[in-house]
Amino acid sequence: MKRVLRPPRLTKRNRVATRDAQASGRGNDIGAVIGIGERSRPDDELKASLKEIIDLKAALDEHAIVAITDPQGKITYVNDKFCAISKYSRDELLGQDHRIINSGHHPTEFIRDLWTTITHGRVWQGEIKNRAKDGSFYWVDTTIVPFLNEEGKPRQYVAIRADITERKQIEEKLRASLREVGDLKAALDEHAIVAMTDPQGRITYVNDKFCAISKYSREELLGQDHRIINSGFHPTEFIRDLWMTITHGQVWHGEIKNRAKDGSFYWVDTTIVPFLEEDGKARQYVAIRADITERKKIEEQLRTSLREVDDLKTALDEHAIVAMTDSQGRITYVNDKFCEISKYSREELLGEDHRIINSGFHPTEFIRDLWTTIAHGQVWHGEIKNRAKDGSFYWVDTTIVPFLNEHGKPRQYVAIRADITDRKRVQEAEAQLAAIVESSDDAIVGQDLHAVVTSWNAGAEKMFGFTPGEMIGQPMTRIIPPDRLDEEVKILVRVRRGESVGHFETQRVRKNGKLIAASVTVSPIRDAEGNVVGASKVARDITERKQTEGEIRKLNIELEHRVIQRTTELETANKELEAFSYSVSHDLRAPLRAVDGFSQAVLEDFGAQLPEEGRHYLQTIRSGAQKMGALIDDLLAFSRLSRLPLNKREVDSARLVRDTLDELGYPLDARKIEMRIADLPPCLADAALLKQVWLNLLSNALKYTRQREPAVIEIGCTREPVSARGFTGAANGNAENIYFIRDNGTGFDMRYAHKLFGVFQRLHRADEFEGTGVGLAIVQRIISRHGGRVWVDAALDRGATFYFTLGEDPKL
Amino acid sequence: MSENNFVEILLVEDNPQDLELTRRALRKGNLTNNIHVARDGAEALEFLFCEGAYATRKPEGGPKLILLDLKLPKVDGLEVLKRVKGDPRTKTIPVVVLTSSKEQNDVVESYHLGVNSYIVKPVNFERFAEAVRDVGMYWLLLNLPPVEK
Repeated sequence: MKRVLRPPRLTKRNRVATRDAQASGRGNDIGAVIGIGERSRPDDELKASLKEIIDLKAALDEHAIVAITDPQGKITYVNDKFCAISKYSRDELLGQDHRIINSGHHPTEFIRDLWTTITHGRVWQGEIKNRAKDGSFYWVDTTIVPFLNEEGKPRQYVAIRADITERKQIEEKLRASLREVGDLKAALDEHAIVAMTDPQGRITYVNDKFCAISKYSREELLGQDHRIINSGFHPTEFIRDLWMTITHGQVWHGEIKNRAKDGSFYWVDTTIVPFLEEDGKARQYVAIRADITERKKIEEQLRTSLREVDDLKTALDEHAIVAMTDSQGRITYVNDKFCEISKYSREELLGEDHRIINSGFHPTEFIRDLWTTIAHGQVWHGEIKNRAKDGSFYWVDTTIVPFLNEHGKPRQYVAIRADITDRKRVQEAEAQLAAIVESSDDAIVGQDLHAVVTSWNAGAEKMFGFTPGEMIGQPMTRIIPPDRLDEEVKILVRVRRGESVGHFETQRVRKNGKLIAASVTVSPIRDAEGNVVGASKVARDITERKQTEGEIRKLNIELEHRVIQRTTELETANKELEAFSYSVSHDLRAPLRAVDGFSQAVLEDFGAQLPEEGRHYLQTIRSGAQKMGALIDDLLAFSRLSRLPLNKREVDSARLVRDTLDELGYPLDARKIEMRIADLPPCLADAALLKQVWLNLLSNALKYTRQREPAVIEIGCTREPVSARGFTGAANGNAENIYFIRDNGTGFDMRYAHKLFGVFQRLHRADEFEGTGVGLAIVQRIISRHGGRVWVDAALDRGATFYFTLGEDPKL
Repeated sequence: MSENNFVEILLVEDNPQDLELTRRALRKGNLTNNIHVARDGAEALEFLFCEGAYATRKPEGGPKLILLDLKLPKVDGLEVLKRVKGDPRTKTIPVVVLTSSKEQNDVVESYHLGVNSYIVKPVNFERFAEAVRDVGMYWLLLNLPPVEK
């Protein structure tokens, strides 16, 4: 690289050369140089200049590689740096010319030009590649200054060099890099769409491909910004994001849809690289793009296809039961509907084969046929009964499509199923119904609205003797006796109106002409629109039943007759009994009254004339008559208990007991009686009859405690669970009131307790305790008529306790 | 004689022994005057309505009290009671049923027909006599009958 110095600089050099000449008096080569020019200066000034020059030389030696040659080119001076870089000693160099360090690098013209310049007294400056003693090369930036003699001829040459080896090497590398970059750019321009913009976004560079794709010329593009190719496709945020990225010094990468000059669109895969200044501001942006319009189109098509497939799959999943299996039959996919119907989870199904839902219903041939079909690459279609996890069965209408690999072998199977369980159930039910109809003993037949037989079951054949072949298509009237035809017409009118006629009894005629009794139910048959199109008839042969009914009716009549007869007899007996009671009540007592009355009359009127014994006999007659009267009264009272209706109502037991005691004359003046009456709950009873109960029980208690001092009579009521005593019958089912009356009287031996409630049964002699032996019988009769129980607990001489319930607890 | 002819008590009783005992009981209660006895229902009705054998009798001649047995020949006591209480001429006369029957039907029917008292004849004569005496005393001496116009 050669530079030619400008003239002003040359002048300056000349002045330096003048100063050099002034220092020549010091006896060295430099001094000779200094000897040139400005000799007229005074000494001290000269001295100062000399010193300055010496300093300069020292500095120069320190800094630069310095050599001096004579006009012939022989080296007359080298400094240390020259020796160091050339690796020659001073002795080896002095007297040599510069060819000793010639590298052979520079062409002859270069060397010639140098010599021409300096021999003409001009300064030469340039960069020279030299060779050191060891053969290595070094570059020196060289300035050669010729010093002229009086004739204007070069006297000597001073060469000052700077080591630029390193710089040269860097330059070399840089040049190589630039070459590479140039190649890369060429390649890039060849390959990509390239543009550069300034920080303001104005296009500063576009390559040919940019022009080609955008259909703008370079002139149209430069100075514009990228809005010229904006398609308007991307949202504002997209563009904003792009600018934010690159203005922050980051690389942006993305796909952009642009619009060409002719309005057509194109997609480019774009990388925008911002190049920054040292302050971080963008200096320029380089955008490299690749045309992906075609790819985008394909992508779009693919996406559309995928969406369609996805939609189809969604629709299919929504609609059908879908499963996929691999070529070995292992399940690789099931949709939700499959899981739902089979009741297995997806995890349970995947990896299994379809035997997991095998119902065992289909014969082996069926399954084999299925596999043969699909293994041969053919679609199989059929109805399959499967078994769900819970053991229930379901039917699916199934289509299995095999998908083949490149060798034509099934790669996987896709099975699409529809749940037809309901339909199958209906079919099964229909089949069952048909079987029931056929196997029924009842005649079940169908007819159209013109009474033509349309169906005829086995029961009908059995009942009427006609085969289906003989009847179907024939008029139904063949089995209807002529006198029943009117009835049939009426029934058909009702059936046409949609009414059913149930279980009417009529007659039919068999094939052999014999009449049979039949119970017939006729119902309308409707088509899908609900129109009546015929009638179904169910007929049952009731000939036998009719006969049996006749017999039963006869027996019933006889029975009723007998009942009436018995009832009459019973009523007569009852009437007789009533008349008997009435006559006992009325007629039997009249003579007793006479016996008593006239005995008394005798005693009154003639007592004085009778001996003592006679009066005693009359008294005995009287007491006998009175006793009999009492017996009759009690007996009548007892028999009346069975005849009178019960009049149950709420009874205040406590008050009833008090009233009864009053009636009995309690408190009795002559006796000391401790009467303990507890709170008594009310009850539901016939008050008059219940009073009889209390009357008898209380009078008994008073009577049999006659010898006690004091007599203790306790009246109370306990409430006990019914079950605890093993009885049933209490209305509320779990508890009942038990009334009791306890005395400390004579009591009795429990061995005779069973006799106690019998009529005229007595456990004491009449001279001990008076009584007819009817009182407790009355008590028991009343209690049992109330549905209650009465029982006793006693011990001889230790009193007795009578208990009774009234069967029904008052709801109080 | 009109004083003598006035009947205080009509005693309707078919049983001669009961009749005698009743008379004795009335006597013991000092109610012996002017007792007329009818031996069956028919006679009682003839007497009361002055018919047949009693056609000549005047209705003003009593009785002031009827003691009526129920079980009577010909016309029974309930029928007699019905006629007496159903006729304006006789319905104010107190009727006391004096019977052996304790049948509730008889008691109820009698009261329905308007009987004034219902006495069951006890077997014991003392009590019988007591009852008859009380009835006579009450209806003849203590009770105030309405004054006929």
